[in-house]
Amino acid sequence: MEQRNNKLGWLFTSPYLIYSVIFFFIPLIWTFFLSVTDWNLIKPTFNFVGISNFKEALQSPNVHAAFWNTYRFMLIFVPLVTALAVGVAVLVHGLHRFKGLFLIGFFLPYLSSGVVSALIVKGLLSYTSPINTALRGIGINVDWLGTPFTALFIVGLILAWKFTGYYALIITSGLESIDKEVYEAAAIDGVKDGQRFWRITLPLLYPSLYTTLILAFGVTFGIFTEVYQLTGGGPGNATNTWQMEIFKQAFSNLQSGYASAVALLASIATFISIYIIRKLLEVWGKRNGWV
Amino acid sequence: MVGSKRHSGARRTIRYALAIVLLLIMVYPYLYMVLSSFADWAQIDKTLIPTKFTLRSYDWLFTGGDTGITRPWLHAFMNSVIVSISSTVLMMAFGVMVAYALAKLNFFGRKAIDNFVLFHMFFPAIILLIPTFLIIQRVGLYDTYFGLILPKAVSLWAIFMYTNFFKAVPQVFIEAARLDGASDLKIMYRIMLPMSKSITTVIFLFLLMERWTELLWDMIAVKSDSMLTLNVLLSQMFGPYGSFPGPLYAASTILTLPIIIMFVIFSKKFKEGMQFNLK
Repeated sequence: MEQRNNKLGWLFTSPYLIYSVIFFFIPLIWTFFLSVTDWNLIKPTFNFVGISNFKEALQSPNVHAAFWNTYRFMLIFVPLVTALAVGVAVLVHGLHRFKGLFLIGFFLPYLSSGVVSALIVKGLLSYTSPINTALRGIGINVDWLGTPFTALFIVGLILAWKFTGYYALIITSGLESIDKEVYEAAAIDGVKDGQRFWRITLPLLYPSLYTTLILAFGVTFGIFTEVYQLTGGGPGNATNTWQMEIFKQAFSNLQSGYASAVALLASIATFISIYIIRKLLEVWGKRNGWV
Repeated sequence: MVGSKRHSGARRTIRYALAIVLLLIMVYPYLYMVLSSFADWAQIDKTLIPTKFTLRSYDWLFTGGDTGITRPWLHAFMNSVIVSISSTVLMMAFGVMVAYALAKLNFFGRKAIDNFVLFHMFFPAIILLIPTFLIIQRVGLYDTYFGLILPKAVSLWAIFMYTNFFKAVPQVFIEAARLDGASDLKIMYRIMLPMSKSITTVIFLFLLMERWTELLWDMIAVKSDSMLTLNVLLSQMFGPYGSFPGPLYAASTILTLPIIIMFVIFSKKFKEGMQFNLK
């Protein structure tokens, strides 16, 4: 590194510094402030209400649903997207030609708007759709978005569709970094073809798998568009999420004080969950001697 | 391993077949969207692959069809273009500038800012949503382009990516340019940026795509019809057009195709960029 140049350094970083003051520090303080008031977005006055917003939020069935649904989405989305992404990556990696073309093709769903995928899914699952008509033909009649479990599953499936190609790209680059010689050495050591994936590929894949898993877990804390568009959080509260709940309280019910309290709870839940997940993934890697 | 040679041909065919089938399943929703937008209305959402086609859905978008109420689809498309391009260009320009300072300049506070960017990037942004709205409202930017653009004028991720990339550029390049009398601004845009073409493609496409498909903020920050982005207008029309899905598929196609075409055009550079990105 060269000699010090404070003026230039601060000048060049100033866009970020100004941005973080206006759109990070001020909002952050403001959220804490709002969360202890009963302000409703339009009233000129407000009262301090202490921690009663938090008390109310902690007892609200909507908030409970948002909290638990995050983990329900996790249980559906994370294994599904990981299995699909690893499957796609391993499959494409084994091809001799058109590897790039296939990867680009699988990546395309990532470019979709949640609104558009919601429309398509709504169409494919409408009462008159060929899928439902065929199912009724064999005596199965499912109201996909009106049943709690299937609604949850459908949203998870849309997300898995969207992210599979993206994660497959990350995993492919992990696979490409594994040397052919490792496989040859393993073959000499007597590792059978069937064991190859579990004993060599998976351990060497751990770093890219770790990246995709962290990304995938992160996704479940920010679900909004698909739920807003497809179910509005329903049926009942079956697909309610943190973002959905905060949006509803702040901008439909105009309870900005209360919604700020919910937002604070949401970020606490997110922070703690992500921290625990990271630790668990690291322990998992260390236990198996992959790190 | 007797016979493995004989098997490998068949195995390869199976692999390709499997990959093609899987790919078809993955891109099928797009196919369904495009075909439905051109499909005869009697077939929409009733067949998996429509066979009779008409332009009625697109016509309906601009005339309002039986409802007689036209919606500002074209205007919304232009809004999306204006907002997404401005936001993305700002995020890129600021990203390069800040990252250059963090990676290549030595100044008091550099390390602290560098670490803070990372913290900021992983901070749950939802907590900032309501006050951000209030700030935009208080300074009179509610329902304006600036209200849509400014809160999304800086991308932590872009700064982070460029910083990592620039750190890998050897210092000699910069020193040589300095000896030739080039200013830092010139070094940034004449040397650093051209060297990072492929990663710039990746960052540009990701940012543009994310901005183009944003729903939550674009919904909150705007109230008048003339300010709606295409994504928000489409979202609002789910109810009113509930029994006429054709026009919705047409609007979806108009929303989705530009980004896909752009991606395919840049796909070669994108692939190169991803390879660095993932190292």
